[in-house]
Amino acid sequence: MNGIVEVHGLTKRLGRRTVLQDLDLSLPAGSITVLLGSNGAGKSTLARLLLGAERPDRGTIRIAGLDPLRDGKELRGRIGFVPDHPDVYDWMTSSDLYEFLRPQYPRWSPAIEARLVARWSVPEHTRFGELSRGEAAKAMLVAALAPQPDFYLFDEAFEGLDPLVRDDVLAGVLEEIELDGRAALVVTHALDLAVRIADRVAVLADGRVAACADVEDLGGVRDLKELVGSVSR
Amino acid sequence: MDWTVDLSADAPPSRQLARALLDAIACGDLAAGDQLPSVRQLAAKSLVNHNTVARAYRDLEHMGIVRGHNGLGVFVSPAGPRIARDERRAGTLAEFRRAAGEALRAGHAADDLVLHVSKLRIRRIA
Repeated sequence: MNGIVEVHGLTKRLGRRTVLQDLDLSLPAGSITVLLGSNGAGKSTLARLLLGAERPDRGTIRIAGLDPLRDGKELRGRIGFVPDHPDVYDWMTSSDLYEFLRPQYPRWSPAIEARLVARWSVPEHTRFGELSRGEAAKAMLVAALAPQPDFYLFDEAFEGLDPLVRDDVLAGVLEEIELDGRAALVVTHALDLAVRIADRVAVLADGRVAACADVEDLGGVRDLKELVGSVSR
Repeated sequence: MDWTVDLSADAPPSRQLARALLDAIACGDLAAGDQLPSVRQLAAKSLVNHNTVARAYRDLEHMGIVRGHNGLGVFVSPAGPRIARDERRAGTLAEFRRAAGEALRAGHAADDLVLHVSKLRIRRIA
């Protein structure tokens, strides 16, 4: 299979613990995959490996045909990443951040940036350190959507938002995300979110993808809960 | 129009959306020739993914209710409202038969049920 993201036999040890073991994952173009799994299942480690921030002990990762370690520089412009906590300086404002990022992303769309900043009322001149959780999440999502990347990677980007804010954030993402020829991986704990936005869900347990399903084949949140329960301990 | 998707329902989101659109077309909220929201717009409104909306649109297209015009969007077909009404009628009739059968088995008198239906009709006209 030739997905936007192809992971084969990925193994990663941290100290004595094997966090990921022989993990295979393929993210087809045009799809959103939601990655579920309990705390410590290795979701964030997988995200760091995909970004080239960690070196695998074994296995291969290809994103749009590129190797995150070898081709890190080129790949950075093709990934729209939202970390679970904003990884920017507290003194930066969102407009500082976008100015800094714009030249690094060849496909950065000022139109998408402007639409989302307006839609979400992202404070442009408030420092990140003073933004609420919701405002910071929105500001970071703009930075991941405006570059029109090949691969969207949202690491718990929707957690900790109150329900109305989360709906507002989701609506903006769904309006602006471009999936044609691209893929998205959304890491979350929220099963309802998975049923809403995923084409496929993958459940991480014991260091590998222990279960995978098309959301269309599931009967809502109940079935998904059962699926997650059947592989997690 | 209500585009919310019930996550606890057994029907997958795409089928729920197709059903909501079918209702909207059957009752005239969307008339022949009217344009449906773009996939993106409806995805954002109902908070589901693009492919889910596209699947609902495809289902309606297969039924002849809507028609996609490349690049222009998706429109209610000339025969769309009639097909949607027939479809809703067939579906609701089957549901009604099942419910009426259950009511009879539970001991309701047939005459009483007829009375209930007549009352509903009066309420609708009024």
